[in-house]
Amino acid sequence: MKHPRVVWQVLCLAALLSTANANQLDAATLGQPPTTSWPTFNGDYTGDRFSSLKQINTSNVSSLQLQWSYRITEVGAQRGAPVPVIKSTPLLVNGTLYFTIPNHVYAADARTGATLWSYSWADEGGHLVGNRGLGMYQSWLYFLGPDDWVICVDSNTGKERWRKQIADARLQYFTTTAPLVVRNHVLVGVGGDAMDIRGFLVSLDPETGDVQWKWWSTPGAGEPGIESWPSVDAAMHGGGGTWLPGTYDPELNLIYWGTGNTNPVFAGQGRKGANLYTTSIVALNLDTGKLVWHFQLSPHDTHDWDNTEMPVLVDTNIDGRPRKLLAQAARNGWFVVLDRTNGKVLVSTPYVKVNWAKGVDKRGQPIPDPAVQPNVSGSMTIISATNWMSPSYSPATGLFYVNAVEGFGIYYLLDTDPKPSGYGGTVNVLGTNTRFLKAIDVNTGKVRWQHEYPNLNGAPATLGPGLLSTAGNLVFTGDDQGNLIAFGADQGEILWHFRASAAQSNGPITYLLDGKQWVVLAAGDTLYAYTLAPAARGIP
Amino acid sequence: MSPKGVTAAIRAVLVGMLLAGASAELLAQPPHEAQVPSPSNTQSYPPATQAPPGTPWSAQAVREFLGLGPAPDAAAAKRGAPVYAANCSFCHGPQARGAEGPSLIYSELVLKDQHGTLIADFLRGGRPEKGMPAFATLTDEQRKDVAEFLHQQVEDVANRGTFQIKNIVLGNPKKGARYVAAHCLGCHSLTGDLRGLAEKWRPADLQHNWIMPPRTGDRRAITATVHAPQATWHGRVEQIDDFRVVLLEDSGQFVVVARDAGVTVELHDPLAPHVAMIGNLADSDMINVTAYLETLQ
Repeated sequence: MKHPRVVWQVLCLAALLSTANANQLDAATLGQPPTTSWPTFNGDYTGDRFSSLKQINTSNVSSLQLQWSYRITEVGAQRGAPVPVIKSTPLLVNGTLYFTIPNHVYAADARTGATLWSYSWADEGGHLVGNRGLGMYQSWLYFLGPDDWVICVDSNTGKERWRKQIADARLQYFTTTAPLVVRNHVLVGVGGDAMDIRGFLVSLDPETGDVQWKWWSTPGAGEPGIESWPSVDAAMHGGGGTWLPGTYDPELNLIYWGTGNTNPVFAGQGRKGANLYTTSIVALNLDTGKLVWHFQLSPHDTHDWDNTEMPVLVDTNIDGRPRKLLAQAARNGWFVVLDRTNGKVLVSTPYVKVNWAKGVDKRGQPIPDPAVQPNVSGSMTIISATNWMSPSYSPATGLFYVNAVEGFGIYYLLDTDPKPSGYGGTVNVLGTNTRFLKAIDVNTGKVRWQHEYPNLNGAPATLGPGLLSTAGNLVFTGDDQGNLIAFGADQGEILWHFRASAAQSNGPITYLLDGKQWVVLAAGDTLYAYTLAPAARGIP
Repeated sequence: MSPKGVTAAIRAVLVGMLLAGASAELLAQPPHEAQVPSPSNTQSYPPATQAPPGTPWSAQAVREFLGLGPAPDAAAAKRGAPVYAANCSFCHGPQARGAEGPSLIYSELVLKDQHGTLIADFLRGGRPEKGMPAFATLTDEQRKDVAEFLHQQVEDVANRGTFQIKNIVLGNPKKGARYVAAHCLGCHSLTGDLRGLAEKWRPADLQHNWIMPPRTGDRRAITATVHAPQATWHGRVEQIDDFRVVLLEDSGQFVVVARDAGVTVELHDPLAPHVAMIGNLADSDMINVTAYLETLQ
C-alpha cells in the first residue's frame, strides 16, 4: 500500500510543478481590455484595438527605442511568396509572444526576443498568402495550416496535441485566419474563391476539435435567404468566405462576422439576386451558430468586395442614452454604424469616392448601380478601399481609423457563359492608387482628418498595415515604404517614425510588461519591439 | 540649386558617387512587396499590368500559388474534347459545368485525379446505380484524354493566370473621334503620337494606357521643386515619403532632402490630365475612344 502512495505523491508534485511552469491563459482575461496581455487577435473581443495604456504618449513617443528585433531567417521562399511576411498579430501571454507565418508558429520571450520554440507544418496545398495568427485557450494554441487543418499546439512546448481537417483544399478552400476563442468555442473561418466554394464558419470544441456547429454563408433549400438566389445550386457555390476573425458581445452572446465576396467572383449573370449572406455583416448566436440578423454591404457583389473587414464594437452615448453599436469600414468603400442588438442602421455613407452606388435602401444598405458591373469591354470603378488590415476605434477621440486606398481599375467580364464559374473576370488596376489614413467620426461617418501617404509608385492595393490607437492619444501604423509611424490620434500629426527593413505588415500591439509599455509590430520577415528610453519613462 | 551651404535640414547630399545600382537598392521598395500575391486571395494575381494573362510564367505561378496540381496535358485535352462532346456533354454540359447531371468542375474524383488514372478506371465501370453508364467501349487512351479535357475545364475556371481578356473593341469609333477631338488634341496629334497604338498594344493594354500611360521616360516623370530655408532644388523625383524626397537633378546628381520643418515640396506631374480622368471618365467614352484609337493606323 505504501509504495503506490509515494508514487502518487511524486506524481502530484510533478503535476504541481508542471502547472507552475506552464503558460496558462487565465480565462478571466479573455475579453478584458488588454493591458498586461494581448490574448486574442484583436486583444479583446471588441475589435477596437484600443489600449488604455498611456505611458507612451504624445509627449514622449519621439524617444521610443528599439529593444530587440526578431527576424525569420530559416524559412526562405514559400510557394507564391518569395520571402516570408509576418501578417499575424502576435499574442502576448505571461511574457511570451506567439506569432505566425504560413506553416510556422513561433514562441519568443517578450523581454528579449529569444526563441522559446517553433512549430512547422508541412502543407498539402492551400494558399500561403498569409497567416493572421493564433487563438489560445488555457495552455493550448490553435493554428491553421493553409490546407484547412486546425492544429492544436501546447503553448509551453510547441508540441502538437491534435489536428482536424475542416474542408478540402482541392476545392480551393484555404485557411489563413486566426481562430477566435470564446468560452469553450474555437471559431474558425475559411477563404477561397477560385472555384466557387460555399463559405462557412465552424465552432470547434477546444479540447477535442470536434465540430459544435457549422454556419453556412449561403442558405440551403427552403431556408430564409434562398429567395436571393436563382437556384439552390447557385447558393451551394455562392462563396462568402469567413477568412478574418470576428468580434463578440458577451451580454448579447452574439458573435459578429464579415462574410467574403460572392462566387462566381466577377461574373454575376448566373446568380441574379442579392446573394445572401455573402458580402454581409452577420450576427450569430455564439452557442448555436444561428443567424440573428444580417446587413449586406454589397448586394449582388460583382467586384470581389469581401466584406470580411472587422465589425468593431463601439459603446457610446447618443442623446444621453448608452448604445451598443458596431462600425465597419468595408472593402467597397462604404462606412456603416449599426445598432448591434438588431442590425438597424445609424450611419451608412462612403468614406472614399465611389461611383458604383445609387444610394441606400430603406435598411441603409448600399444599392449597387447595375450599370457599374464588369463587362466585356470594361467598366471603371474603385479598387478595394481597404482589406484585411485591422482598423482601430478610439473611445477617447470617437474616431474610427482605417488605412484606405483610393484608386480605380477597369473590370472585365471574361466568362460570358450563362453558367459561369470561378473568377469569370479580372481587374486591370489603373496604377495611380493613393493610400490614406482616415479618421472617421462614428457619429456622422464624416472623415475628421486624413493623412495621405506619398508614394511615387502608387500604393500597393492590398498589402497594408493594421492600426492601433491608445489612450496616450497615439495611433501606430506604417506606410508602404518601410516607415513605421506614430500619429497624434486627435489631429493626425506625425510624432515618431522608424525606418524598418520592409513595410509594416501586421497589426501593432501594445502591453505593459515589468512596468514598461511595449509596442510590438512586424515589417516583412521581422518583428520589432519598442519601449521608451529610460529617461522618457521618468527613470534617471 | 547648389547644395553648398546647406544646413542640417539636409541630412545627405549624394553627389555622383551614388552608383546607379546602389541607388536602386536604396530607393526601391522591398522587392517582395510587389510580388506577394493578393493577401485576400481575391485580386487578380499576378496583376494584369505586370504579367499579361496567358503567359506560361503567369499560368505556372498561379497554379503553384493555388495548389492546382499538375498542368493539364493540352494535346490530350484537345483529343479528349470530341470524345467528351459525344459521350458526356449531354448530361454534364459542354464545359462540364453540369446540365442534367452534376458539374464535374467540383467533382472530388476529378480534383483528386492525376493524369487520368482515377477517372479512366471510373469511366470503365461507371456508376450504373446512380445513372452514370460505363464507357467500356472507349479505349484507355480515350478515357485518359477525357480526363485531361476535364482537367482543362478546371484549369480554365480556377487558374486566373490563364485568363484571356475577350475582344473589348466594341465601342463606337465615330463617337470616340468626337471625344478625342474635344479633349485630347491640346497635347496629342492624330497624325503623330496617337497613330499606330493598336500595333503597339493589345486592346486591353491600349485601353489602360491611353487613360493612364506607363510612366516611362523623362517626359512622363514626376518632377519636384524642393524649397528649404537656404536652398532650392529641382529634379526628377526618384522617391518620396513623409520623411524625405530624393531628386535626380538635370546634372545627374542625386539629392536626398529630409522633409523637416520649413522644407516644402511642389510636385509637378505631366500626366495630371490623365490622372484626372481616372474615376471621372464615363465607360461609354472609354470604350468609344479605344475603338477609335484602334482605327488610327
